[in-house]
Amino acid sequence: MTRQAAPARRVLVLRCPRWLDDDGSGGPGAGDSGSSDSAARAFEPVVAIVENFCPQVEVLRPGVCAIATRGPARYFGGEAQLAAGLIEAVAQAGVTCQAGIADGLFAAGLAARAGPTGLLVPPGETPEFLAGLPVGVLGLPELCELLPRLGIETLGQLAALPPAEAASRFGPPGKLASRLARGLDPRPLIPRPPAADLSVRLEFDPPADQSEPVVFAAKALADQMHDRLAAAGVACVRVQVQVRFSDGQELSRLWRHDGLLSALAVAERVRWQLDGWRGASADRAPDRDSWPDTAGIALLRLVPDQLVRAAGRQLALWGDAVPSDRVARAAIRVQAMLGHACVTRPVPAGGRRPAEQVLQVPFGDAETPQRPADRPWPDQIPAPSPATVFGVPLAASVTDDSGQVVSVSGRAQLSAPPAWLSAAGGPARAVTAWAGPWPVTERWWDPVHARRQARFQLVTEDGTAWLAALQDGRWLIEASYD
Amino acid sequence: MGTGIAQVISLSPVRHRDDVLTGEGLLPVLPALRELLPGGGLQRGSVVTSGDWGLLPLALAAEAVSDGAWCAIVGVPAVGVRAAVEAGLDPDRMLLVAEPGPGWAQVVASLLDGFDIVLLRPPEQPSAQLRRKLEAAARRYGSVLLVAGDWPGAQSRLLVTDAEWTGLGAGHGRLRARKAQVVASGRGAGERPRSAWLWLPGPDGTVTAVAAESTLGTGAHDGTGTYQAYSGTAEPLASSG
Repeated sequence: MTRQAAPARRVLVLRCPRWLDDDGSGGPGAGDSGSSDSAARAFEPVVAIVENFCPQVEVLRPGVCAIATRGPARYFGGEAQLAAGLIEAVAQAGVTCQAGIADGLFAAGLAARAGPTGLLVPPGETPEFLAGLPVGVLGLPELCELLPRLGIETLGQLAALPPAEAASRFGPPGKLASRLARGLDPRPLIPRPPAADLSVRLEFDPPADQSEPVVFAAKALADQMHDRLAAAGVACVRVQVQVRFSDGQELSRLWRHDGLLSALAVAERVRWQLDGWRGASADRAPDRDSWPDTAGIALLRLVPDQLVRAAGRQLALWGDAVPSDRVARAAIRVQAMLGHACVTRPVPAGGRRPAEQVLQVPFGDAETPQRPADRPWPDQIPAPSPATVFGVPLAASVTDDSGQVVSVSGRAQLSAPPAWLSAAGGPARAVTAWAGPWPVTERWWDPVHARRQARFQLVTEDGTAWLAALQDGRWLIEASYD
Repeated sequence: MGTGIAQVISLSPVRHRDDVLTGEGLLPVLPALRELLPGGGLQRGSVVTSGDWGLLPLALAAEAVSDGAWCAIVGVPAVGVRAAVEAGLDPDRMLLVAEPGPGWAQVVASLLDGFDIVLLRPPEQPSAQLRRKLEAAARRYGSVLLVAGDWPGAQSRLLVTDAEWTGLGAGHGRLRARKAQVVASGRGAGERPRSAWLWLPGPDGTVTAVAAESTLGTGAHDGTGTYQAYSGTAEPLASSG
């Protein structure tokens, strides 16, 4: 073990389930879809609390942050005491959280998810802790599908493979997965920082008193930083965003992303940082775009941190629709107005419900759906597809001639033919044609995503066609066709 | 050698905005919609309305997007992306702004500079001043503003006036196709309303013209036989007034 790369440093990961609407996977493939401005703002007070324990806090995404435990654990008399103190302090702010400590960020993230308050994995035992976990926790969709088919079900089995073999058989994702499974850092850090200063800075004269221009400038600045990094043949895992105000106050935060932080993503984090800071210090400010009692922003500085060798990204030879400069500029301008996640590209995904068949990916991000569209997906609704698909199904009421709500028995027997449909509390419309029930039982092995439905297609008197479903005794409108 | 490379490039599916610009100011539309629009396409710099949100606005954008144009859809959180793909839109060249917020007009104006088609469902009735501003933006950038809703002053108005679903009976069948009458009217004086019967959508989700009864068999889609089979068993449906 001493001959091999040294185990990753001790890390504490704190996660607040409240702001994590996804499955909480913190793996390298986890995207930004769960993050939003409001969550970032709400998370800021928690980060401030964690900063009292350790000044160097890495925010992984809103709801999850990490600190290195070495220093603070010594001060607080042990890692267990540090974690307990943190959870207690955060709980006093009215937020429940989980803390996990292990070697390396990946294992610590998983430890935080183990049990109601998290887990402390003693030094050196991280490989054993990881060994029992399924490969699905890696968050690498393609590999997680392939490995079980080859008989590699757990991280322990993956770690047992010779690292070189894993890399040559599965490519860069395999190398990454192998390192994670062995409890190492995802990529070996370059031990010595390059001689050149790769940070970029922009001074605002006069100081900017609104966040928009700063966020906009951050995008250009991030581009500049990426150019410098690319010229040096490296990429960075973390970006430190430093903001200095004209009164000398400084605001600094580390942002981590295991993929490459795009210029857009950096700008988004600058926005979160400014919004979060403003929310914390000036709750009473009624107008949202200026700081009432502080001076403006004088300096913005981006410092790349934790440099790794750039692995590069290969564009597909054919068929990648590359947005032209004009399109990208228009999209970025709207993102600057509304927020990074408000401008999305639709990516077809697989699923049985219409709402599952598309994934909204923020413009500028690369993300592939976990459920590929090119699988059979039996029980999906055949073409033609509905033109309106409600992300959250509308509540509805379907009644028979006598006014009773139509129900379906366990044997898919209908209580009476549907005669009236009322969607989202609207007026009842007469049903002129219908078909169903088509029972669908999905993912019965997975208590979170399991679903039993009886589906119907209905046409009402106004000529509208609906896709309705009866689930847990409630009628839902999933889509409408016109 | 040089010509070989030129050929390869011209075969590449990646196209740029410039390719589309060379259409004498017209963006192409599906064959079925051609006769409804003056000039047989979407006039760049114009505003076109298509009644309430539905398949019609998507169908209007379909041909241009599959031909290399970029399309932004604003104010429609519930876009049926799969229906759009079936109608012919390329999802790689679509962008969604589901919630444009109170400053939606500014968002639309920004998108018009860059996107060939901006498909908008206004979150509120726009004032005359806002409308003029957006019309001017569309003209300036040579884009098409496609409005799902009301827009006085639009160059062309399309509306589904009559529609009937086929394939669904009383407890049997499934939705197969919708036969819809689309009426188009223009702003120009003396322009007569034009109308056409369309499969909106057809059995495979495409939008095609409804051929005369006798020529149904020559349709390109596989469901030609099913129309007759299903029109026999389906209950007559109430049509919207």
